Amino acid sequence: MSLQVHIRHIGSAQRVLLQGLRFEVASGRILTLMGASGSGKSSVLAAIAGTLHSVAEGAQALRFDGTVTLHGTDLTALPTARRGVGLLFQDPLLFAHMTVAENLLFAVPPGPRAQRQAAVQQALQRAELADYGERDPATLSGGQRARVALMRALLAQPRALLLDEPFSKLDAALRDQFRAFVFDHIRAQNIPAVLVTHDAADIADPALVLALPTDA
Amino acid sequence: MNRLRLSAAVVLLLIAALPLLAVAGASVRALFNAAAWASLADDPLWWSALGLTLWTGLASTALAWWITAWLLAQGFVRQRLGALLRGLPVMLATPHAAFAIGLVFLISPSGWILRALSPWLTGFDWPPPWPTAQDPWGLGLIAALTAKEVPFLLWTAATQLQRDDVRQRWRAEHTLAQTLGYAPHRAWWRVIWPQLSARLFWPLVAVLAYGLTVVDMALVIGPASPPTLAVLAWQWLQDADLAVNARGAAAGGVLTAVVLLAALAWRGLQAWQTHRARHADGQRGRARPSMFGALGLALLLALYAAVLLALAVGSVAGVWPFPALWPEALTAQAWLSVWSSASTVGTTLGLALLSSALALVWCVAWLELGPRSWDQALRPLLYLPLVLPAVLWVVGLYSLALQWRLEGQWFGLLLAHTLMVLPYVLLALSPAYLGFDPRAAQLSDSLGQRRAAFLWRVKWPLLRRSLAASAAVGFAVSVTQYLPTLYIGAGRFATVTTEAVTLASGAQRSLTSAYAGLQFLLPALAFGLAAWVGRPRRFHTMAP
Repeated sequence: MSLQVHIRHIGSAQRVLLQGLRFEVASGRILTLMGASGSGKSSVLAAIAGTLHSVAEGAQALRFDGTVTLHGTDLTALPTARRGVGLLFQDPLLFAHMTVAENLLFAVPPGPRAQRQAAVQQALQRAELADYGERDPATLSGGQRARVALMRALLAQPRALLLDEPFSKLDAALRDQFRAFVFDHIRAQNIPAVLVTHDAADIADPALVLALPTDA
Repeated sequence: MNRLRLSAAVVLLLIAALPLLAVAGASVRALFNAAAWASLADDPLWWSALGLTLWTGLASTALAWWITAWLLAQGFVRQRLGALLRGLPVMLATPHAAFAIGLVFLISPSGWILRALSPWLTGFDWPPPWPTAQDPWGLGLIAALTAKEVPFLLWTAATQLQRDDVRQRWRAEHTLAQTLGYAPHRAWWRVIWPQLSARLFWPLVAVLAYGLTVVDMALVIGPASPPTLAVLAWQWLQDADLAVNARGAAAGGVLTAVVLLAALAWRGLQAWQTHRARHADGQRGRARPSMFGALGLALLLALYAAVLLALAVGSVAGVWPFPALWPEALTAQAWLSVWSSASTVGTTLGLALLSSALALVWCVAWLELGPRSWDQALRPLLYLPLVLPAVLWVVGLYSLALQWRLEGQWFGLLLAHTLMVLPYVLLALSPAYLGFDPRAAQLSDSLGQRRAAFLWRVKWPLLRRSLAASAAVGFAVSVTQYLPTLYIGAGRFATVTTEAVTLASGAQRSLTSAYAGLQFLLPALAFGLAAWVGRPRRFHTMAP
């Protein structure tokens, strides 16, 4: 049970961003992908999640040649919505027109109403935000928003999670706390995860680090 | 500095607010006339006219809203917004009246559609006595209004979607919703559309107000007996009898109430809809390939092309017996007579250029200097001309013009046009202008640049496209003014719009087409010029 990624090539018609990358992450493990900006590390996540086209909007479209396999299923041809791959962005991206609880509810799979609400309440508690459900997300602190974003990603019951520099916008004290919070939850969910960062302090598992070559 | 800025804002406010308030006040004063209300209540026609107004206004608005949402969904999900918006300038530049005139040439019993089908399919050798030109059910009016409002709503949505901050964020949110398992379309309807539609409230109110109170378009393609309430009110306003005039003003009051109620109802409906979107049931939806998005847009473009072609051919048509698809003779007669009345075109151009320039200068100054909180509080006042029915608005304008001795004066006409143009320019300019990154000003300050240098060399050049487009919108709005031009001009000034609408009821197909065509050409030129002025800079050195 694992996430297997084989990237033969990512790039536009003009230039090759990345080639010949192959890695595998087991369930409950977190692979850290290190690289300077411009090394194409976010594109690796976009290729796994199937969102390359929206990353490259406006500029040259990026093309991905390779395979992504999750728990034995080939994801390469599937649309993002059907991959079951969660993505945690640099920004928490809480939907501004929804309360905190509605943001979480949005991620819960369909089912009986009471059960879905219970899942939301449980997530709020785990994020230590039990009383914040009816709040406007804009009134939360940066750390609180980040926790809600992680809870939202996990509530959708992804079978793998990708983290795109999720700590970079938090200040140092918060960063340590939130990092531990994220890693604990991923291990508890027992899903494979890939973390992209340029900060060595973010490394989750020293045995699982991949450094991308710098382009320039 | 700050005090200077505040006093400048106060002056700006007075310049705009005084005439607006005076006109609104005079309009409302005309409503305090018990005899007028009694005579309105006694009128046998007005109930059915009101019914027609509600039916045409609400149906066209609902259709336009729904079609716009759907086209945007297709465009956003398939990342084809650019293609969606490319045909927009032509559609926006087509004035309502010109569109209605062209549409009548297509669908009337002697119109192009029946000509194309006769006699081989229909067997008609003679135009049938069908009521397709001014059908009593208002279907033609609904079609014309819908086709005209969809581009307007698309364009206001585009001004939101093209803001850098908004676009990047919504793109990211859309992607995020997909990583949570939502199909692209479902993600649009649940996440992006509720946020976008909340920002389209004022544009939609403008569409509602327009549809419920339009006169020129309804004169051309709307039902005639009874007409819509706005047309009825306009007929009463033109009556020689003062008592009948007062009845017209009262009907304008009824229309105002209808617009307000409709806007309130819309607010409620929208709240209910976003509530539903927020309390997601968690259903992810299925990805579905859809070919219809491109088709819907193509149909709309084809309709505009057909309408404009009908006007073009109509303007040079000589003798044109019924089933023939093409005129027997082509003649430049109509254009020659347009040319010989050059003052009409001159008046139109002068009014449009000056009023849009004045409005643009005011809006830029206001957005630059006016405190944000004042701006927000005063928007309802500034948007009054959009919300008040034109038939009531001209009553106020007229009494103000009488008081200030501006009736029948060029300056009075300019004032009337500028007041109508102002809210449109403001609406067009605000999103880009207010969305401008405030850090740029701080950066410029920190580089030791003076504020004027920042405005002239950084901010306005960067906003060039929006500034040019807003001016073009103002120009187009001025060209299409019908009621204020006739009423304040006291019949002394003719513009291409008043000529086209007046001629539309007659039988001079070619002259009507020529004026309607001109009514389209002038704004189209303005939009073309705006696109050229606002074109992105070409850098000559290529990236290595």
